[in-house]
Amino acid sequence: MEPRNYIVSMSPHIRGRQSIETMMSTFIIGLIPTALAAIYLFGIKSLIIMVLSMATAVIVEAVIERITHQKPTFRDCHALLIGLLLALILPSSVPWWMPVVGATVAIVLGKALFGGLGNYPFNPVLVAWVVLRLSWPERMNLFFEPHTTTHILTPLMAFKEDPSLFYSYDLSSLFLGQKPGLMGTVCDLAILIGALFILYRGVIRWHIPLSFFAGIAFFAAVLRYINPDVYPPVTFHLIGGGVFLAAFFLAPEPVTSPVTPKGMITFGFLAGILTMIIRMWGAFPDGSFYAILIMNSATPLFNYLKPKAYGRSYSA
Amino acid sequence: MYEGTNFYYDRKYAIFNQVFIMGLLLKGITLPKRLLAQSLTLIELPPPQKVILPLKQYVGEPSKAMVSVGDSVKTGQLIADAHNTHCLPVHATISGTVTDIKEHLDPKGSSIESICIESDGTDTWTTPPASPGESLGYEDILKRIHDAGLITKGLFATPLDKDLVPVDQPKTYLYRDGTDIVKKIDTLLINGLDPEPSLGVNRYLAGTENDTLEQGIAVLKTITGAQRVIFTVDKHFAPWPQLKDIVKKDEEEATAIIALDGRRFPIALPIPLVKAALSREVPLPYGHPRDVGVAVYDLHTVISLGQSIRNTTPQTETMITLGGGAMEKKGIAKVRIGTTIGSLIDALGGLTTDAAKIILGGPMTGMAQYDLATPITKEVTGLFALNNTDIQLSEDYRECINCGMCVKVCPVNLLPGVISLYCAKDKFDLAEAEGLFSCIECGACDYVCPSRRPLVHLFRHAKNQLME
Repeated sequence: MEPRNYIVSMSPHIRGRQSIETMMSTFIIGLIPTALAAIYLFGIKSLIIMVLSMATAVIVEAVIERITHQKPTFRDCHALLIGLLLALILPSSVPWWMPVVGATVAIVLGKALFGGLGNYPFNPVLVAWVVLRLSWPERMNLFFEPHTTTHILTPLMAFKEDPSLFYSYDLSSLFLGQKPGLMGTVCDLAILIGALFILYRGVIRWHIPLSFFAGIAFFAAVLRYINPDVYPPVTFHLIGGGVFLAAFFLAPEPVTSPVTPKGMITFGFLAGILTMIIRMWGAFPDGSFYAILIMNSATPLFNYLKPKAYGRSYSA
Repeated sequence: MYEGTNFYYDRKYAIFNQVFIMGLLLKGITLPKRLLAQSLTLIELPPPQKVILPLKQYVGEPSKAMVSVGDSVKTGQLIADAHNTHCLPVHATISGTVTDIKEHLDPKGSSIESICIESDGTDTWTTPPASPGESLGYEDILKRIHDAGLITKGLFATPLDKDLVPVDQPKTYLYRDGTDIVKKIDTLLINGLDPEPSLGVNRYLAGTENDTLEQGIAVLKTITGAQRVIFTVDKHFAPWPQLKDIVKKDEEEATAIIALDGRRFPIALPIPLVKAALSREVPLPYGHPRDVGVAVYDLHTVISLGQSIRNTTPQTETMITLGGGAMEKKGIAKVRIGTTIGSLIDALGGLTTDAAKIILGGPMTGMAQYDLATPITKEVTGLFALNNTDIQLSEDYRECINCGMCVKVCPVNLLPGVISLYCAKDKFDLAEAEGLFSCIECGACDYVCPSRRPLVHLFRHAKNQLME
């Protein structure tokens, strides 16, 4: 046996295949059904918005890394994911410069200023969305009826105007995407297909989505029980707005969500309650994005809800 | 309190137990198929030409050499004496001449005084001491175990006689209502699973007939005072004919088999195993299964114990698993203690050209070796040669992205990511407050980390810094 040079390092000597690249690309693959549904429902313009947003995100990140002499990280697909997610939570009526501005804000203000992937306290996509929503509210509130260019109110906006209107909506067509709204939030079926894929791949876990739904369903059920004439059924709240996309792709974002099971469940449940409070008494028709952004700021607190310490509560 | 209860272990309880511990079964990782022990065939090997016998093959003190350079020795002859209770005698494992007594590298990477023996090719045995009487007393058995040089397997192996009767026994515990209780061992857990899914010695032995197993169990029951015996086996490696026979033969119904999923890791390390098989949590940090009344021993240890009691021969051989992508021949091998890695690999037909890493122990918890002259000692459980596709270095690790994968897999409910951040920033006291010393260093968190952070490395660094 001739001597050779062998590598020496600490155990474990083998590692799983999971990496940041696979994680982020799994998210992107999970969003493909949603993106296809958006293109089908709102035409080729939505594809242009997505491409613009993704390209801007990648380019801006590359420029920042060049300026600050960091290693290029475009390979990890995170900028791509930010761009795609941001495009999916814009209405299809936005002008071409809005996704560009939004993606720049997301990368610069949301991610790079805090030190890149792993360090930002707020979901960069939602930071950019809030900036756009507050800066150009009338442009962000212009929704098209699917397959047409007629302006129309979303179900939740209509509900805000006149609470009795929810009877006019057919729940199964709402689920399949026959409703105006943000590009990626209308077709809940497509979101569900992608979500099942990322859940199966273990990129996100069931705790946050399920407790998010539970929070909304709980609050909506209580209201419905109090006065069924004024308050819509639970299903209307679940599929009427952006809850599905928020629950599966925005709330469980790894960096800004808690890590412990108890923390994740509390995070999701409180975000669901907060969504309902904003919907019912707030100034905005759909509160799920704001709710997640607010809960993000409390994530370090939720991490105190640790799993039971092993062997500490030992008795005889 | 389960002390003194007449325990009846039936199938119904076992199923209940399995449901109860679902939380634990979901923790940990499943290794990919290419790294699981698959071909459990015994490879016969001739005695080596040369052995290197370190005078310390356990956690303790080195023993004193009794031979000098030039002496001729026979197989099984006592060559180093245990001069106090913290060491074990060393025996020659081949017959030949002592060529050298010098400091030599051992599998843990430290330099230990070692005796080198060159074979004369005959492998003649020294005559063993007189055959034992019919009834052995408690002290006689312990002396026999000590004289045979048996140890518990694993990285932190201790002499078996010391592990059976620890110095600080009996330990008292404060019960919740304030009364002191003395913890007695009530259960003997014989582990037919391997510490890692890549190893296979215990699973191989669980499927074969061993004439000394029953004697080993009887001896362990006598010493520990355990009333019941539980075998843990891998459900993917059924059947276990001899173990089933032993369960059937036991009229008091104090013996049982628990089948666990051996593909999971780290279910077969002692602390998670006690939880998985008996739902008892070993107090951490610094806990030992005996603190909850359980004695855990590998099937391999029990069988060698039986051998040394019956034949009065010392331990000269150990069984190890051979594996890894770069190993030409995989399986189980009976090797003489002191065989060097290089000569063993030569006898097995060499390595493929892409061999990148040599590991003694399993790929999850073993030690990487750089010198092929390192001997295989009693502690060693396996020899793995990994190629470049198996290994993943963490030299290009990224920042923690707070994904929580490590929390999901940690078998002792820690937050490994948070602790590693403290360790990396030299905040060792905060890491300790987060439960650093409860970590059993299984490496599951390291395995799943998408940022490829060297978590176990950081934990060991912090532990060393804190202990200084």
